[in-house]
Amino acid sequence: MPLPPPPSPSPSPRMPGVAGGRLFASLPPPPPLRSRREVHVWYLLPDELNDASLLKMYTELLSPSERKNALSMNGEKLQKGAVLSRALVRTTLSRYTDCKVDPRSFEFKKNKFGKPEILWRSDDSRMERPLHFNISHTSSLIACGITMDTPIGIDVEDKKRKTAKNILSLARRYFTPSEIDYLAKIPDPDGQQKEFIKLWTLKEAYVKALGRGFSGAPFNKFSIILAANNRIQISVAPKVSNGSDSSCDCLSENWQFALAELNSSHCMAICIEDDSTSSDSENGRLPLGLKVWKTIPFVEDILVSGTEAVKLVS
Amino acid sequence: MAAPVSAVAAGSATVTYSPALRVQGMDAVSFRVSASFNFPRQRANFQSIRARRIPKRFQVSCSAKQETVDKVCEIVKNQLALPEDTTVIGETKFVDIGADSLDTVEIVMGLEEAFQISVDESSAQEIQTVEDAAALIDKLITEKDA
Repeated sequence: MPLPPPPSPSPSPRMPGVAGGRLFASLPPPPPLRSRREVHVWYLLPDELNDASLLKMYTELLSPSERKNALSMNGEKLQKGAVLSRALVRTTLSRYTDCKVDPRSFEFKKNKFGKPEILWRSDDSRMERPLHFNISHTSSLIACGITMDTPIGIDVEDKKRKTAKNILSLARRYFTPSEIDYLAKIPDPDGQQKEFIKLWTLKEAYVKALGRGFSGAPFNKFSIILAANNRIQISVAPKVSNGSDSSCDCLSENWQFALAELNSSHCMAICIEDDSTSSDSENGRLPLGLKVWKTIPFVEDILVSGTEAVKLVS
Repeated sequence: MAAPVSAVAAGSATVTYSPALRVQGMDAVSFRVSASFNFPRQRANFQSIRARRIPKRFQVSCSAKQETVDKVCEIVKNQLALPEDTTVIGETKFVDIGADSLDTVEIVMGLEEAFQISVDESSAQEIQTVEDAAALIDKLITEKDA
């Protein structure tokens, strides 16, 4: 997938810098999401966040039920991860409302399949186009992707994550024939593990973008194809005509993907809806515009896209 | 019959009891136990709550065999490489022990292999606790042997 176009010569949007140690400072507004093709990702590293007063502040941003959920996790590390996840979602969303909406005041609902969405109150008319978000976490990195007006799915995984089960066994159980073939052809175990993680995160990102849950988009019903030119394509198994099958809505292929190595430690996959017309595809399709920040909310934001911390695979 | 309740509090937790209803004609009072945890303000560290989670209602019936529950706990603990002292019991929720989607599919595969069953995606999606997994396994085994 081609790299996003270089920044335009017009005055660049204010790059957030170090806000200094003053906590409770308002979150610096990020550059706006200029189009439906732009995806902004904010991530944090839980292992770097050990300051008790900062964690306490994050905890206070959560709703009572989020706090209760976080505390019901088994062990300090998981509890901290749960708090940071919610704090990241809330602070990130707040940034994109010009900080007019306090992180604490967001409310969430789940769609009928369980995908979390923002619950906007009817008087929030200032939000002309809805914000979409999706979150993914591993024990060492939590990422929140945000878009304007297009559904998004994001998945991150430790790039070195080892599976307990053999890769090809997992693939045979859950993936499609073309994906199994792709993996089976890779001679070395490390290479195979790496490609498995790429396919896994891409498939997860698609399912999360679709918002229908794991059973709404079974992994073995769609294939991710990693082409030689780094293009990522999705191919849906042709639906067998069966009058009684009303449970599985046709899986769509009009989705766009981005894959990157994040922080030199994680594999990140993003999936957004593709609104290009068929004449745009192949040659004219615009690249997905990706901007990534590493953040410690209220303390520090660092724009890392364009640096070594974000290596676009495609 | 008043059920014994153990409330182990890590200093900052308070547990309140309020008798719910008195069953007519019986000498039984069921206690609805609610635990409220005050987030420690004085403490410098981010403290975990060490109290055992107290269920809101005491369940008498078990829909899964204890043997199955134990086997599931073992498979889960192995998959997640949990520290030795981690409690995994029937009521344990997979999300609460940090099982992500990749862990979950590996656990499901492990269960399929151990019990010689096949779990479809929509059934797998319904599983929230170890108990749920065990109940599904027992059901699938019964159906298989029928």
